[in-house]
Amino acid sequence: VFSFFKSLTSGTTINSEALAPVLEQMRLHLCEKNVAQDIAQKLVESVGASLQGQTKSSFTRIATIVRDTLTKTLTSLLTPNRRVDILRDVIAAKAQKEPYSICFCGVNGVGKSTNLAKITYWLLQNDMRVLIAACDTFRAGAVEQLRTHRNKLSALHEGSDRVVLYEKGYGKDPAAIAHDAIAFAREQGFDVVLIDTAGRMQDNEPLMRALTKLIAMNTPNLVLFVGEALVGNEAVDQLVKFNKALQDFSHQDHPRTIDGIVLTKFDTIDDKVPVDDTRANLSLLPFISLLPFLPSSYPLVFSCCGPDFLFSRVFSLLSFQVGAAISMTYTTGQPIVFVGTGQSYHDLKKLNVQAVVSALMSA
Amino acid sequence: MVLGDLGRRITGALRNMANATVIDEEVLGSLLNEISVALLESDVNVKLVAKLKKNIKSVIDFDEMAAGLNKRRIIQRAVFQELCSLIDPGKPIWQPTKGKSNVIMFVGLQGSGKTTTCTKLAHLYQSKGFKTSLVCADTFRAGAFDQLKQNATKARIPFYGSYTEADPVVIAAEGVERFKKEQFDIIIVDTSGRHKQEDSLFEEMLQVSNVTKPDNVIFVMDASIGQACEAQARAFSDKVPVGSVIVTKLDSHAKGGGALSAVAATGSAIAYLGTGEHLTDLEPFETKAFVSKLLGMGDIQGLISK
Ligand SMILES: Nc1nc2c(ncn2[C@@H]2O[C@H](COP(=O)(O)OP(=O)(O)OP(=O)(O)O)[C@@H](O)[C@H]2O)c(=O)[nH]1
Ligand SMILES: Nc1nc2c(ncn2[C@@H]2O[C@H](COP(=O)(O)OP(=O)(O)OP(=O)(O)O)[C@@H](O)[C@H]2O)c(=O)[nH]1
Ligand SMILES: [Mg+2]
Ligand SMILES: [Mg+2]
Repeated sequence: VFSFFKSLTSGTTINSEALAPVLEQMRLHLCEKNVAQDIAQKLVESVGASLQGQTKSSFTRIATIVRDTLTKTLTSLLTPNRRVDILRDVIAAKAQKEPYSICFCGVNGVGKSTNLAKITYWLLQNDMRVLIAACDTFRAGAVEQLRTHRNKLSALHEGSDRVVLYEKGYGKDPAAIAHDAIAFAREQGFDVVLIDTAGRMQDNEPLMRALTKLIAMNTPNLVLFVGEALVGNEAVDQLVKFNKALQDFSHQDHPRTIDGIVLTKFDTIDDKVPVDDTRANLSLLPFISLLPFLPSSYPLVFSCCGPDFLFSRVFSLLSFQVGAAISMTYTTGQPIVFVGTGQSYHDLKKLNVQAVVSALMSA
Repeated sequence: MVLGDLGRRITGALRNMANATVIDEEVLGSLLNEISVALLESDVNVKLVAKLKKNIKSVIDFDEMAAGLNKRRIIQRAVFQELCSLIDPGKPIWQPTKGKSNVIMFVGLQGSGKTTTCTKLAHLYQSKGFKTSLVCADTFRAGAFDQLKQNATKARIPFYGSYTEADPVVIAAEGVERFKKEQFDIIIVDTSGRHKQEDSLFEEMLQVSNVTKPDNVIFVMDASIGQACEAQARAFSDKVPVGSVIVTKLDSHAKGGGALSAVAATGSAIAYLGTGEHLTDLEPFETKAFVSKLLGMGDIQGLISK
């Protein structure tokens, strides 16, 4: 009886010839889901390498095994290994009489200012006092955009001094404004300072140096990279270069780099599938095995835990082309802290890992 | 220019083929694979890439090809013809008519660069001697009117907008009427960013289009856009008659392949490229010139002009 089972389960060895066409199919599938071309390539290669030479029962199809392995890989890729509670950290900073500062950066037009406004809303809902620092002193209308949001948010929340705009108009040095804003917040007892910066292209050295200066000089508690879900192969290049600039152009021993990602415009990418979201879904799977390609130098994984506001909201709309999420986390190993799903203050969600993976794997 | 990277990759692949001693199906296969990877890395739509590959394969029949025939030339020609048809919609680029008011409406996804590009284009027309104006029909985005106002003021272009009127259709109609009365040659209407998933936003776009009766609708897209581009571009042009495409942010690292997919989806030619945040960072795009630049090598140019 034993040998009978053995022969059944031992089955055949998986060889590269049998794997190749299945992996190629998977690769194209990922590309179609907007995963960057080279990352799709690396993902299927790592799946191939882990399966090569393994034995499979003769009942299971190679395609099924590849699918399962890829699903696991994607899940662990998107799953934070440690949760950091922004609200808890704000309270900890408060005990030190220090305002907690968050800097938003990214390329042009991705949604930095809008999602800064959404995060302000979320903080106000949690009884925080927020100072918005208008450090985009370049783009036309940037200051008025923040002022409009501030006024709207203030009207929504009692006590007009709970959210204040710190601005010095256009043309001034953003690093200096951020510095003064933080000092002002300390003086006036604000809990959080949100620093808006101008959009910039990752290859624009003078602008990348200016951003590094702002971050090095003010060492914000959290540096968030804002990227849009619409982006294709550029996602990787943007993140790598922002992170690298923050390292290279800073003259510090331990430069501040990107701590997390805000992925915006999730609502603009293709067909939506209703996803049933519950608290249980959000309790993320343990980070089983750090994939070999995840840089271990980025251990910090954040999530905006705690607030019922976020958790109770059903992340009900998910897109089919969620590949940018993979490209971005793959690149830096950084977690997606928030997901922007629209243009109103409520449209800020937590990434639902299982939903994203199933959207990625769906036909 | 960034799209040029793609051209280099493709000509490189063709050159590799030229170095092969025998041209057989295997050589063709690896050439097509190299080209496909280059296109996918540039964000060209996956389905378009597959189609291109299939079309090229279908015109090349190794069994029927006479031994004496130059297989290389046939393959090269097939590759280039497919690339050309990808980029060139075969439709001339819209030009304003002298002696009347030309209304141009800008549409596109959120943050693609419409407002910035509106002023750039207005500035370009103004420098060519057209009497040019701007209308801000974006009442949604915080600070939108301030943005257009500050840009227009800097470029010394008359503008129309409102801080109090909430209906973009009303503003668009009033603005266009005013500037038509004042006999402006060019009236550019900026609109809010929108996406196909939200019907009400698309309906609003249609209404703005209905009241302004644009002579040209320009679809503005960001060079870094990925696979979502094709579906969005198609949806925009299904709703309003998109006449030209402007690809912005080409000063980035982006290869702009999404743009090629947008051309295929809308059937409209790329008219300009945005290459920076400043007023003058706008370059005209000539499909024919671009294709020949993409091809690079003289002997190949001869192939496509046939
Ligand atoms: N559909 C959708 N639109 C969004 C989302 N987040 C931001 N936007 C829109 O994207 C556009 C650009 O947003 P901004 O916040 O101005 O982007 P930014 O990164 O600050 O832009 P710059 O400062 O000019 O670089 C606006 O029209 C926003 O309403 C989102 O999650 N979904
Ligand atoms: N580097 C670069 N930035 C650009 C270019 N065109 C526009 N931008 C920037 O992209 C961002 C968004 O541009 P906007 O003109 O506000 O985009 P929009 O489409 O009007 O945005 P919404 O009205 O919110 O939909 C701004 O930071 C612009 O300065 C370009 O060609 N290159
Ligand atoms: Mg901004
Ligand atoms: Mg705009």
